[in-house]
Order: sequence, then structure tokens, then C-alpha cells
Amino acid sequence: MERLNPRVRVVWLFLAVFRAGIVGGFLVGAALVLSETGLWANSPDLLVPGAIGLAVALGLVRIVVAWRRYAVWRFEVQDDGLYIERGVFTRIKTVVPYVRVQHVDSRRSPIERTTGLATVVVYTAGSRSADVAIPGLTPERAERLREDLRRLAIESEGEDAV
Amino acid sequence: MRKLHPLSIAVRSISRSVNVGLLFFIAGVFASPGGAGGTLVSVGGMVLLGIVVAVVYEVAYYERFRYELTGDTFDVASGVLARRDREVPLRRIQNVDVRQPVLSRLFGLAAVHIETAGGGQTEVSLQYVDEEEARRLRRQLRRGARAEGDEDDESVASETDDPSDEDEEELLFEIQPRELAILSVFTIDPGASLLGGIALSFLSGFDPTTLIPADLVDGLPGAEGGLVALAWLVVLFLLAAWVVSAVLTFNRYYGFRLTRVGDELYYERGLVQRYSGTIPLEKVQTLTITERVPFRWFGYGALAVETAGYAPGQGSRGTESAIPLAGYDRVVGLARSIEPFGEVDLEAPPKRARERYGVRYLLVVGALVGAGYLLATATALERWYLPAALVVLVPVAAHLKWRNRGHQLGDRYVFTRTGFWNRTTKVVPYYRVQAVVHTQSIFQRRRRLASVTADTASSASLLGRAATAYDVDAERGLEMQLEIEERLQERLRARKRERTVGQWFQHDLSSDEPTGDDSV
Repeated sequence: MERLNPRVRVVWLFLAVFRAGIVGGFLVGAALVLSETGLWANSPDLLVPGAIGLAVALGLVRIVVAWRRYAVWRFEVQDDGLYIERGVFTRIKTVVPYVRVQHVDSRRSPIERTTGLATVVVYTAGSRSADVAIPGLTPERAERLREDLRRLAIESEGEDAV
Repeated sequence: MRKLHPLSIAVRSISRSVNVGLLFFIAGVFASPGGAGGTLVSVGGMVLLGIVVAVVYEVAYYERFRYELTGDTFDVASGVLARRDREVPLRRIQNVDVRQPVLSRLFGLAAVHIETAGGGQTEVSLQYVDEEEARRLRRQLRRGARAEGDEDDESVASETDDPSDEDEEELLFEIQPRELAILSVFTIDPGASLLGGIALSFLSGFDPTTLIPADLVDGLPGAEGGLVALAWLVVLFLLAAWVVSAVLTFNRYYGFRLTRVGDELYYERGLVQRYSGTIPLEKVQTLTITERVPFRWFGYGALAVETAGYAPGQGSRGTESAIPLAGYDRVVGLARSIEPFGEVDLEAPPKRARERYGVRYLLVVGALVGAGYLLATATALERWYLPAALVVLVPVAAHLKWRNRGHQLGDRYVFTRTGFWNRTTKVVPYYRVQAVVHTQSIFQRRRRLASVTADTASSASLLGRAATAYDVDAERGLEMQLEIEERLQERLRARKRERTVGQWFQHDLSSDEPTGDDSV
């Protein structure tokens, strides 16, 4: 079982804080608008502190989840298929047989580029698991994985991709 | 290169005029100042403009549209402003559907739709060709696809070589008046409620109060009279929706026939509009047997054959039912003739899954009571605790849910079943499996349960109804995942062997046949 590069936590934490910031901003902003402009005539005094508290709590949950995600994430290039284990709340274990691989992408978002990481995405024709992404790989590993998957997909030489 | 039928200009223009004209009519109504004499002229002018634009466009569309059936592809060149040339390899065709809406049927025209597994929508639509041409295309497309495709065994191969067998139809299913009646009466068409409401408001002359009989309300005091009137309206509405729904369903499935020609299924149906099409058996992804509640009690079921042809958002067309309604034995019999699976002996989820459902339903009841209590503090609502009586139903509901779930890993197929109201049994051949997913929510982990999904490329599962074995023991789930994966590889190898052997036998007949395999 291979684990992701620990630096992927930086990416996930950044995203968690960023998203929590947006949601929290909306929450606190809405509370401020309601209490300050008098749209809600006798709003409770705790409205704004409550909103701030909620925003902080949601943010903390996101951060914990992002941290935990790294501990759960695992993948393995097996004989017949790619095996992936992930999910903090709902734990998902997926097997994608190489026969079913349609194409493989490797991609790097801006945050991934700054942290020196890459993501490999494996596409199948399935309806539920049509694309499976493996984040948190070093560019060299991503390149190698993509090449391996490509080779394995060709070698398995499926009869029917669908 | 062939062109569409010239009359298709007329049909397309009329149907487009209705749409565009309506749009311009609404635009005209909004744009013009209300009430003045000029309004009618300006609205009329807008409508006329819309119609002219539509007709001109359709003439250009007709002039630009060309199609041709070659030896191994179907080519289409089309487009008025942006041109598009498209080649569809015949081997990749999943479904061919022929549709005759009312208008085109009057002119003796039909629309031919060709689906492949790629792309976001129907890959080729010929609107419209005449009926004879539609039939010819359907046959030719099938023949082309078969001649091209690799055959699995000799019997099929020899059949392909003999053109006389080509059109021999075997009737598999024909809907009986009794079945059609039951289906119409008990099917709830979601669109019908809207149509029923519209019909009702027309009947009443857009004033719902006229529908309430005066003598019913008169004798009662104010508030109660209002309630009775409201209940009366609701009953009327439901009645209207039900009648509309029955009429729609009757119209849809009237004259349903399913035949088998060689290695394809052919269906036709419809009273006012006619629909027909082919489902190639070698492209079948999943068989779905549905037993909805009122039908199940009478021993009826339905069968759908899923392919990868349709794109998401194509609505009810996602799966063409092979059988809309028939006795359960017949449904299973037909399913077996498509995919020869043996006895189905489903394994129930462990008993602790039932406890889980019980807890879930208890929480729902609790939430209802809680909501009632909150409502009671804010309004004059009394007896907010009444929903608590639902607790009696919790064990029954949990048991029924548990009873109707099951799974089995057969020799060649995976079976999964779920749903009490709409019991759905899925039959998935191992070699169609795309990926195997083992999921455990936090609640499932507490009870060491898991759900195992055998994902296929079937277009119907996009609506969240993939073949999933719910709430199996977590350890067993992992074993199942491994087993499905292994059997998939095994079946693929077996099929490859069969094909190679088949190729040796017919080597002389088609030495130049591509050894590359058919995807999709």
C-alpha cells in the first residue's frame, strides 16, 4: 500500500481554510447585515457571536477532516487493477481493473504547483466511478504512475471497454 | 449521399413554428403596451416573424443535411451555420430508435436516432425520413454492425452468414389488454399532476371556486366550510391527475411488442405516437427487474434492458423497458432468454442491518415529533405529539426494508436487490463490471456493515441506481469485491478464448477481420 506525499496536507489544509473562510464570511456577513441594518427588528444579541462561533466550528471540522484524509488515503498498483482507499466519514475502497481504463491524465493545479505535487486521474466508462483521482504525488511519481497505468491498460487489452 | 425527406421541411417548420411562435408571442405580449389596439398587430407581427425565421431555417437545414450508410460507418454532414461532418463506426452503435410523433406520423415520416456510448447526447438524429427508409436504415445498420462485430460462437456466426435468417422474427412479448389496463390504472406519471392541474383550471374557466358545489359548503360554519372546500379541490385535483396519468400511460404502452431478430431485440409501442427501436443483445450492460408495490401484490413485474447508449438527462429514455408489465414468471423467463442466469437465491443482509434501519426510522419519527413541538410553540398547533404513534410502524418498516434487500454472486452474474415500494433486482454480467466500490458510512462502520457496488457503463445507473449490495458484512464485502474483480478477469479471459477459437473456424471467411476488440 502506497501512501500520498505528506505535503498533500498543505494543499488540503489550504483548501479547507480557504473554503471555511468563504462559508464563514457569508455566515458572519449575513448575521451582521441582519442585526445592524434592522432587517430583523429584535434579533437576539447572540446572533453575531453565534455566527462567528459556528463559522469557526465549521472551519475547525474542515481542518480536522483535511488532516485525517491524509491518514486514510492509500493506493496500490496491483496485478489486475488499481486499488484505492479513501474517505474520512464514508470510507470508500475502489478497484479499477486496468482493462477498463479509458485514459489517464496527470494534472497540476496552481496550489499543487507551488507545493510541488501532482494529481493523476484515471477515467473509466463506468457511471459511478467514471473518474478516479489520486492526488498528492510528486511530479516524478505522477509521471511514472501514469506511464505504468498506460502500459498496464494496453497490456490487459480488454475485449470491451464498456 | 442521401437527403432527408422533403416533407420533413413542413413537419420541422410546423413544430418549430409552434415553439418559436410561442416564444415570440410571449415576447410580443410583454413588449407591447397592454390593452391598446396596436397590441394585436404587434403581437401578430412578432409571431409571423418567428414563423418566417423558422421556415427559412428549416429549408436551409434540409438543404444542408446529407447522410450515407457505407460499408462500416454511417456518415452525416449537417449544420446550417456551423457545419459538422460525423462518422459513426457501425460496430459502436448501441441503440437505434425510430420515433413517430403525431405530426410526422400524419405525413408518414419517422425520426431515426442512433446512440453510441460516447458523447453527451444522441449522436445522430435523422428528422425526418419516410417510414420505408427508416425501416431500411434500421435493418442495414444492424446488418452492418453484425457483419463487422466479432461473434462469440459459431452458431451466431453461421447465422450471420445466412441472410435468409435475417428477418425471422420471434415474438417474445406482447402486452395484453388486461396488463395494459392494470398498468394504466396504477402508474403514476409525474408529468400528469401538472397536466391534470392545467386541465382542471381550464374546466373551471380559471376560477377554481366554481368547482366547489355550493350546497356542500353552505350548511357549514366558516372555517370548516373552507377546509371541506379545500379537501374537495384536492380530491378533484388528484382525480384529474390520475385520469391524465392513466391516459398518458395507456397511450405510451399501447400495442407494446417485443421481438427478437437474430441477436437484437426490437420493440414497438405507442397509440398516438409510435416508437420503435433495436437493442443489440451483445451490448446489454444490466438487466433490471422492477416489481412496484401494487403490481407486485398481483404478481406482476417489469423488465428493463440497460445499454450504454443513452446520455444522462435523456430522461425516461435512459432505459427502454423490454417489458412494461407482465406476470413475474414471464419477466424472469424473458430475462433468462437474454442473459441465461440460473436460479436466483439471494443472500440477506445480516440481522444487525435491520437494527440499523430501525434506528434510522426511529430518528425520523423523533425528528417529526421535534418539528411538531417546535411548530406548537410558535403556532396554535395542538397535539403535536401525535406523530409519535408512528413508532408502531418502525419495526415493520425496518423488517420490510431488510427483507427486500439481498445479493448473490453467481457463476456469471452478480445479483442485487433493494427497495420495498419499488423492488429492483439487478443482474450484472461479470464481464460488464467497470469498477467495484466498497463503501462504509460512519453508521455502517459502527455495525461492521458495508455496501458493495458493481459499477457498469449502463446509462441508467447515472440516476444513482447502480447495482449495489447494501449492508453486507464488512469483511464479506471485501471478499465480494475481490471475487467480483477476479471473476471479471476470468470471464474476460474466457470470452477472449471463445473469440479466438471462433476466429480460427471462420478464418477463411473473414481473414481480414480486425483482431482488435470491440470497445463499447
